[in-house]
Amino acid sequence: MSFAVSMQQISKRYGTVQALDNVTFEVEAGTIHALVGENGAGKTTLMKALYGAMIPDSGTTSLNGNPIKFQNSADAINQGIGMVSQHYGIIGELTNFENLVLGSEGAAVLNKSTMSERADRLASSMGFEFNWNTESSTLSPAGGQKLEILKLLWRKSRIMILDEPTAMLSPQDADALYDSLKQLASNGATIIVVTHRITEVFEHCKRVTVLRGGVKVADHEVTNVTPSQLAEEIVGGEVIQRPKPVSLAKNSVRLSIENLSVKGEKGDSAVKHVGLQVKTGQLVGIAGVDGNGQRELFHALIGVAKPTSGMFSFDGNQWDTETSQTRILEGLRVIPEDRHEEGIIEEWSLFENSALGLQRLPAFSNLSKSTREEAPVMAEMFGTKHGGLDNEIGSLSGGNQQRFVAGRALRINPQMILAFQPARGLDLNSTTKVYQEIRRACNDGACAIVVSFDLDELLDFCDRIVVMCHGELSEPRPEEARDRAAIGKLMVGAG
Amino acid sequence: MKLKVLVLFVCSIIAIIVSLLIVKANVFQAITTIFTGSLGDARKLSGTIKEMTPLLILGSAVYLALKAGLFNIGAEGQYTIGACFASLAMIAIGGPVGIIVGCVVGVVCGALWALPAGLIKAYRNGHEVITTIMLNAIAWNLTKALVSGPFKGKDQPASSTSVMPATSQLTPLFKIGELEIPQSFVVGLACVLVLAYWLKKTIAGYELKATGANATAAKFAGVKTKQVTIKAMLMSGGLSGLAGALQVAQFEHRFYDGFSTGYGFDALGVALLSSSNPYYLIISSFFFGVLNKGGTALAILGIDKGITTVILAAVILMFAAIRYSKKEVTNG
Repeated sequence: MSFAVSMQQISKRYGTVQALDNVTFEVEAGTIHALVGENGAGKTTLMKALYGAMIPDSGTTSLNGNPIKFQNSADAINQGIGMVSQHYGIIGELTNFENLVLGSEGAAVLNKSTMSERADRLASSMGFEFNWNTESSTLSPAGGQKLEILKLLWRKSRIMILDEPTAMLSPQDADALYDSLKQLASNGATIIVVTHRITEVFEHCKRVTVLRGGVKVADHEVTNVTPSQLAEEIVGGEVIQRPKPVSLAKNSVRLSIENLSVKGEKGDSAVKHVGLQVKTGQLVGIAGVDGNGQRELFHALIGVAKPTSGMFSFDGNQWDTETSQTRILEGLRVIPEDRHEEGIIEEWSLFENSALGLQRLPAFSNLSKSTREEAPVMAEMFGTKHGGLDNEIGSLSGGNQQRFVAGRALRINPQMILAFQPARGLDLNSTTKVYQEIRRACNDGACAIVVSFDLDELLDFCDRIVVMCHGELSEPRPEEARDRAAIGKLMVGAG
Repeated sequence: MKLKVLVLFVCSIIAIIVSLLIVKANVFQAITTIFTGSLGDARKLSGTIKEMTPLLILGSAVYLALKAGLFNIGAEGQYTIGACFASLAMIAIGGPVGIIVGCVVGVVCGALWALPAGLIKAYRNGHEVITTIMLNAIAWNLTKALVSGPFKGKDQPASSTSVMPATSQLTPLFKIGELEIPQSFVVGLACVLVLAYWLKKTIAGYELKATGANATAAKFAGVKTKQVTIKAMLMSGGLSGLAGALQVAQFEHRFYDGFSTGYGFDALGVALLSSSNPYYLIISSFFFGVLNKGGTALAILGIDKGITTVILAAVILMFAAIRYSKKEVTNG
């Protein structure tokens, strides 16, 4: 059998970390191949090697049987390899057309008529529609993803690497994306998808390769493996089961939001007349595509953004006129979205960081004594790996910082938990543990709101799901409360 | 960290030697002159302690603001204003009460002089470096006008207040032979110790440091960062004003045009050099004291005193380059 991509015994070491250890990776031409693994398993490093963005210490690569050696990405692009990274490379201020041809204009002066003809041809071959002259900042995440794929076609890529292509998409948009990819594959393109979503692997891919700790642990035809088997291979042991979420919600309302509006960064109204009541013991998940007002809603609830209208109260105490400090004293706990900027002080030790946000609680009235006592407990809660609590928290990996921040938020009397993408940077089992701990707090009488862009994660853990789209909050009908497709429609405003 | 200190030490020595070579001085002779001129005998040591005293308090002031993420270049102006109005109170009231009231006046005036910079920073995000520099200029000219006119002492030929009654002057705490330990020196040491404790142990200190290190994270942690900014400027200005008041009471006994010889600016260096440890304020202000005092002795060798400023600047630059070197970003 001839492989479109054949990477043999690739190794790469960064300092003391063996990022890749003798990894062999083979992809058949004309197929969609999934590359899965936890954060830090080496997926991105391996793809960088294929894309010429990193030169491995040892190992060989051949394309369609021809050995090649890339010095940089330009070499790889010339050989027909294209990559779409998780954060799109689209510049909002340029038009769609300019983004399409950027870096591959072919001449010093753009010949717009012949070029746009080709652009139209490419778009229609994929069934996409683009207004070439509008600014790309107006594109939806799905539109951006489509433009990225067209960029690869424009560069005549035959081997396409997509890193977490559906991370920002609604379920319907994700399905549509895979339809396009299948069409490309049937025309002979080879597609490698880096993903952590196991369902996607089974629905859309032909083969799957599993990396763990820089080592290839498995390589299957998708039809020869079960989802739970694959999950165990990814985790490298037993996968903590995720039982169906059972609501112990009581009838008493704890958080009540009425007619809340908040302005966004650019002065637009990011949250529009949102109303939501969260009951004692309830774990509410807010589904939605990134940038639909979830951030601004959280900022208003925390107290770092001022609502332009509406009010909200917790246990009957009006909160929107209170300081953040008062809300914290009454039980507000936050796992923030951007932990570097909002959750930690990087140059401080874990000891010092353990009090951040809790410093005015009675439990921290004796600051140095309390941090000595609490920091180890917070670190222990989700198994934060650290070289000593005296070390700067900035020296920890992102996942370990997240574990510590989550432990801190849930450690001391949480009553109103706000968690924005709490699983960010965490492995499967840690994700489960964090949600289990949020659930435990809810069962003890707290309530929680979780924002995630991964609908499956919310379906796994939340007992109620609402959707944010264009700043408005909606809720699926009761009979469709757990219906992926119905929720997905609401996510793109087609409910 | 230890390596950094070593590098700093070696670089400082090289800087000092190079600076001296540039002015064609005999390096060995110049360095011994600086040290004998500042530490050579009890009288010279007293002079060094005198130079060190305002730097201890002003250094604490600048250090506190730095911890809140503010660069208080206005310490000089706050010091001048504090000294000017404190001297009036001390002259008018007299006696120990005059000293105490004068110090309070100094603190209040210094704090008020820093307040606009704090307010503008907190509510309009106007940079405190710009505003405090401007406030410095106003402070100089205002005090100059005041001591040339309304505050001018009747018996004074130049722009100066009258000299305080002897009862209002602070005597040395103790005197052994020619070695004098001023009372204000003890106040300076106390400022450093109290500040260190306050920053380390209190919640207000914790919130101030959080605001300085990452204002967004502090806001998410429920810290009222605007209030912290204003409070930090007030405290920093108050300390600077106290330094001015004590300088009048202990050493100068009057206020005059050109009162400050730039202690407020030296204090920036003192605070920067002490880096992350407030106790180092004592060491760095001693270092500055030695150079200030020893520098005057250089005149005997025909070397301008200004060379010590060059040395200090070189050390601070080097220190900044080492201390604030960007951490390498590791990506997983």
